[in-house]
This record gives sequence, C-alpha cells and structure tokens, in this order.
Amino acid sequence: MVNSLFTEFLKLKRSQMFLISLMGAAVAPGMEFLAMIVGQRKHPETVITFQKFFTETNLYILLLIGILLYGVITAYLFNREYVEDTLKNLLTIPVSRNSFLSSKFTMLFIWILFLTLFAWILTLILGLIGQFDGLNSALLIKSFQEYLVGGILIFLLLTPIAWVTLIFKNYVTTIVFTILITMINALVLNSEYVVLYPWSAILAIATNKFNAIYPSEYSYFSVFGTSLLGLIATIIYFKKVDID
Amino acid sequence: MNPIIKTTQLSKVYGTQKAVDNLQMNVYPGEIYGFLGRNGAGKTTTIRMLLGLIKPTQGKIEIFGADLLQNSKEILTRTGSIIEFSGFYENLTAAENLLINAKLMGIQKRQIITEVLETVGLQNETKKPVGKFSLGMKQRLGIARAIMHHPELLILDEPTNGLDPIGIKEMRELIKSFASEKKMTILISSHILSEIEQLVDRIGIIHEGKLLEELKLEELQKRNRKYLQFQVSNENKAVLLLEQVLKIFDYEVHEKGEIRIYSHLTMAGKINQVLVQNEIEVSKITLSKDDLEDYFIKLIGGGAIG
Repeated sequence: MVNSLFTEFLKLKRSQMFLISLMGAAVAPGMEFLAMIVGQRKHPETVITFQKFFTETNLYILLLIGILLYGVITAYLFNREYVEDTLKNLLTIPVSRNSFLSSKFTMLFIWILFLTLFAWILTLILGLIGQFDGLNSALLIKSFQEYLVGGILIFLLLTPIAWVTLIFKNYVTTIVFTILITMINALVLNSEYVVLYPWSAILAIATNKFNAIYPSEYSYFSVFGTSLLGLIATIIYFKKVDID
Repeated sequence: MNPIIKTTQLSKVYGTQKAVDNLQMNVYPGEIYGFLGRNGAGKTTTIRMLLGLIKPTQGKIEIFGADLLQNSKEILTRTGSIIEFSGFYENLTAAENLLINAKLMGIQKRQIITEVLETVGLQNETKKPVGKFSLGMKQRLGIARAIMHHPELLILDEPTNGLDPIGIKEMRELIKSFASEKKMTILISSHILSEIEQLVDRIGIIHEGKLLEELKLEELQKRNRKYLQFQVSNENKAVLLLEQVLKIFDYEVHEKGEIRIYSHLTMAGKINQVLVQNEIEVSKITLSKDDLEDYFIKLIGGGAIG
C-alpha cells in the first residue's frame, strides 16, 4: 500500500492538476471574502464576524464548489490510466484491481483533506486581513471540525462519481454528473429535503443542524448508504470489466 | 516438452460476434512464436486474455503449467508484456515511469532502471518527459518496462507498430537478443508477415478468431518452395524415371498423379520429354510461383495480410 501510494504521488510530479486544485479550493474563501468586503462597503455599520465568514465559506464549499472540484479530481485520478493507456500495464505487473482502487481512494482522501485544510487556513488568513470580529479558540476548533467533517463526508460521497468515471471513461460525463448533483443541492437547499438528499445532508451533519421533520438518522443513512452503494458498484464494475 | 502457453478451446464472444473462436495455441519454452493475422483477426483479444485483462467467454489458459485464472499473480510476475502502443505517464521521465513499475513490483534495486534503459538505448534521456518522446523511443521504453523484472516469458503485441524501418530493425534485433542471450520465450504478434518471418521459430496464423495453422518456420518455408508440378498418368513409373534417368531426387508425390519437383526448375521440357518417351501421359505442367504472402492469402481465403 505504501508503494502504491508513493506511485500515486509520483504520478503528480510536473502535473498542473495539483496547482489547479489549490486554485479551485481558494475560490470559496476568496469569493466569500470579496462578498463580505463589498457588503461592508455598502453598509459600513455591518460587523463581519469570523463565525459568519467560516460558516458561509463552508456552506459554499460543501454545497457548491466542493462536489464540482473534488468530482474533477476524482475523474482525473480514476480516468488517468484510461486516458494515458497505462492501465493495461499496471494490471499486468500485476497490481490487483482492488489494490488499484484502494490506492486511488486513499490518494483522493489525502488530496481532499489537504484542500480542506488549505481552504480553512485561507479563510482564517483572509479573515485576519479583513480584521473580522469574534475570533477565539473555541470558534477555531468548531470551524475546523466542521470543515474536516464536511471534507470527509464529501469524500465518502465521491464513490458514485468514481463509478460513473470508470463506466464512461471520460471527464465530460463526470463533470455533467457533478453539475447535476450541485444543481439539485441548490434546489433542495431551502426545503425540508435538504437533510435527505445525500450531497446536501452533509451540511446538516457537518454543522449538526437538522430539521424537525426528519430525524438525523435519515441524513446519516442517506450519506453512508449512498457512499456504500457507490463503493460496491465501483468495486463490482471494475473487477468484472474487460480492459480493452 | 510441455508448452509454456497452452490454450484449450479459448473463446471470446462480444454480443453475437466471436472475436476468438476455440483457439488451441501452444508456445514452447525458448522459442519465438509469431502470432500472425490481419487487423481484427483476434490477436489482441487473445493476448489480452493471456494477460488476464479480458475474461474468456469459455476455454482454459495455462501458462507455466498453471491455470491463469487461479494463479494470475504468480504467472504475471514471470511475464513481461507490451500491448499495442505502450502507454506512459507523459509528465514523467523514462526513469520515473520505470520507477513506478519497480515500486509496484517490489524491486528494491534502483540500478535495474539504469541497466534496462541502457539495454534499449535510452540511458541519455534523463530529463525529457516521456510526452516528448518519439513513438520509437516509447516502444523501446515499453520493452525496458517489460524486461525490467527479468521475465521468463515475453508477450509482445505488435511491438513494431508505427515504427520506421530503422526502428523496426532495432526492435527485431533487441527481441532476438532476448531469446538468444536471456533465454526468454517470446510470443510476438504482427500483421506484417515479412517482419515475423525474420524473427520467429514457429508461426500461428489466426483469422476471424480461429487459429488456422500452427507450424515451424522451416516447415512453412518448405511448403512454399518453388516447384515444378507434373500431372501424370502413372506416378510410380514417373518417379523411377526421375531418379534413374534424370537423377532427380528432391520431389514429392501427391494425390491423383501429381508430382512436385523442387530442383531442376529450368528443365521442365527435358523432364516432359523423358516422361512422354516412356509412354507416360503428362496432362499438366506448372511452375508454382507461390511465396509466403500468397500462401497466407490462400489460407485465409482472400485479402492481403499487412
């Protein structure tokens, strides 16, 4: 596993993808920062708090930017061997198909954790530059926890995206799929179904804010069930598929 | 001698189309086996099945005497391969691409990367990403990757595809050296007969998924030697005359009074005269002009190879 992971890191050498993903991860904190500064200019009496800045940035990451950005990274990782025609080499080394998937998911997990950490630190730095109010250690811990849980839950929900990538073997379908997921996120955001739809339920779980209509178990079941189904589908498909 | 590769009734069906049909292939230790067929004949599908990339619809594959499906890991660690065009991580150098393989194979000795790059003549390409390599360089790197773990069996699917004549010659010499110096058993596929002919010990001819023939190169060449063919009324008497009067001994007697003479090709008139004078009716004389290409065209029922 260590060797597989080493090769996954090596494959990123001289690749622009990592830099692009950092830029993508900077979008939510950057845009939210600009929105807050512009808002304050219009209404100088408004006090911008760190809590609001952290919360709204995380909302953008979890419901809008995250699934698109991480979906592209998933497509890049899982589709790369098809695009560069290296899969036939790897599988005849031989690398087992399960081991191939494990190293891909592990790499994806590390990548997402890194981007989550990057987004959180950037939010903090921008908040300090903007001299926002209310920064304290309790808020730092709480916000970090919310970012981290959100990042982990988005990772779990990338299994169906990995499956779609393996089936269609191109970036376009995967990107269309992530756009669809994001559009439904926007659609259910202000409805009671926000806690049921897996990709929006992660917000409820990460921030521990559920609604009175549906118990929290529904959200957990929705997220973990979707993740598990995606994982099973990915494994079964990839183990059975011919490498033409 | 037990074959290194043995397939039994191997078939692969896509929908209603049989890509490979009851293939019985035998590749023996130490030989270079040429797998010849037109594009779409089923070569790549067969090779991908031999490497576990495609699951057979039916049949059995035994490599090194063991069932491939049950022992794929053990078998593949003793096998090196190139399947059509070699794929690489284009942002990485040749050495970095080989390092990926070395790591995944558990090869600790980094020196092996330098050694195999020297073997294929890429030792000076240390900084250039593979994306900037020519096709010939990529194919040579593919060979380096295939041999870096010192496999006993090398499976090469059209390794000279897209190479220029010099590249083809270099590749051929490299492959020959693996068989002679490293004692590898090699299965090489191609749709170019002239290329296979200069390299292999035995040939298997595949067409529309079926293995039509499997034979030694000498046997094939013998079959395709030029000959004079006489259709005679009495072949026993004719043979006596050939040996005793004309001193011709390099001949074959076939069915229905057909005699093939492989020497004295310019003496058709004289031979005919002797036969006729001895009351043997000669109904047909032909000079065969088949070469190997014609032979294969006949074998596959029309259309050219290559």
